[in-house]
Amino acid sequence: MAHSLSPECTPLKKEYDSCFNAWFEGYLEPAVAASASSAERAKYSKQKAEEYERNCGKIWGQYQECVQNAVKNRGLNDLLKQAREENPLREPPSSPPS
Amino acid sequence: MRFFSQSFLYDEPWSIVSLAYFLRYPNPYASHVLSCDVISRTLTSTGTLLTTRLILKQGALPRWAPQGMVPRSESWVIEESEVDPYGKVVRCQSRNLDHVKVMSAQESVVLKPTEDGKTLQRTDVSIVSGFGWGLTKRIESYGLAKFKSNIQRSREGLKTILELVRHSHSHRMTLGLSTPNSPNTFANSDSTPSFNREGESSHRADAPPPLRRSNSSWTSLSRWLRAA
Repeated sequence: MAHSLSPECTPLKKEYDSCFNAWFEGYLEPAVAASASSAERAKYSKQKAEEYERNCGKIWGQYQECVQNAVKNRGLNDLLKQAREENPLREPPSSPPS
Repeated sequence: MRFFSQSFLYDEPWSIVSLAYFLRYPNPYASHVLSCDVISRTLTSTGTLLTTRLILKQGALPRWAPQGMVPRSESWVIEESEVDPYGKVVRCQSRNLDHVKVMSAQESVVLKPTEDGKTLQRTDVSIVSGFGWGLTKRIESYGLAKFKSNIQRSREGLKTILELVRHSHSHRMTLGLSTPNSPNTFANSDSTPSFNREGESSHRADAPPPLRRSNSSWTSLSRWLRAA
């Protein structure tokens, strides 16, 4: 739901989610044309990454500290580690259409 | 092993559907989702966003499930997603972390734009049971039937969020149109593209979205969500 797995992390989660969602909306509509060179895209990506770090870096750190603790306390780390090892998404991202 | 595939077309553009997809919890149709946390997030050097989320879902056990088959009716789901904003693809895979021997359900979703500015969602599901005791087929059939009956519900849930996102976008466009007297250049650069896009639902590939615009759009959206 709108809750974190641990109630004490919920306010941090909500603050982080708000920050991320605001940034994410802009991220989904890049200000570079699809025909832009990869250098231009890399530059824009870097800008976006810096913007994310600037706006949400701090709350992310706080939220993660809380959540990783909660995950550890619930004994979920082994389960997660197993799942990560089988992670099928580690393929190179698709290149943009020409 | 059971498989199921379905494709669905949304009228909204890819960026709006993708945003709604990431915002889909909470929604009134997803009361079974108890918690949702981001446990990992990375932006690659090519600008791709990789996210891992840990979700706790409540499940109802079928009446024929033997006692102790599943110790509790909650299940942890891991959702791994990848967003490529240039290629305009969202890939998202969810699977349960626990009870896997009883039933392992894996759902893969891909969101891509269509040529006419709509969005195509492709969903692939695989269900495997390693339970044995003559129940494997029954468990797999149950899992698949449950998924099929829920897919409509999850689409309704996404549509609800899509409505909110779309409202907030058009609300923002209206604001852009009705504030011609704003003192700074922000409003001036804003209102021109807004005028051009009145009534359109296509995304703006060339006009750079000012930072503040994103923030104010999210503020409107979050107000809608709170009111909902």
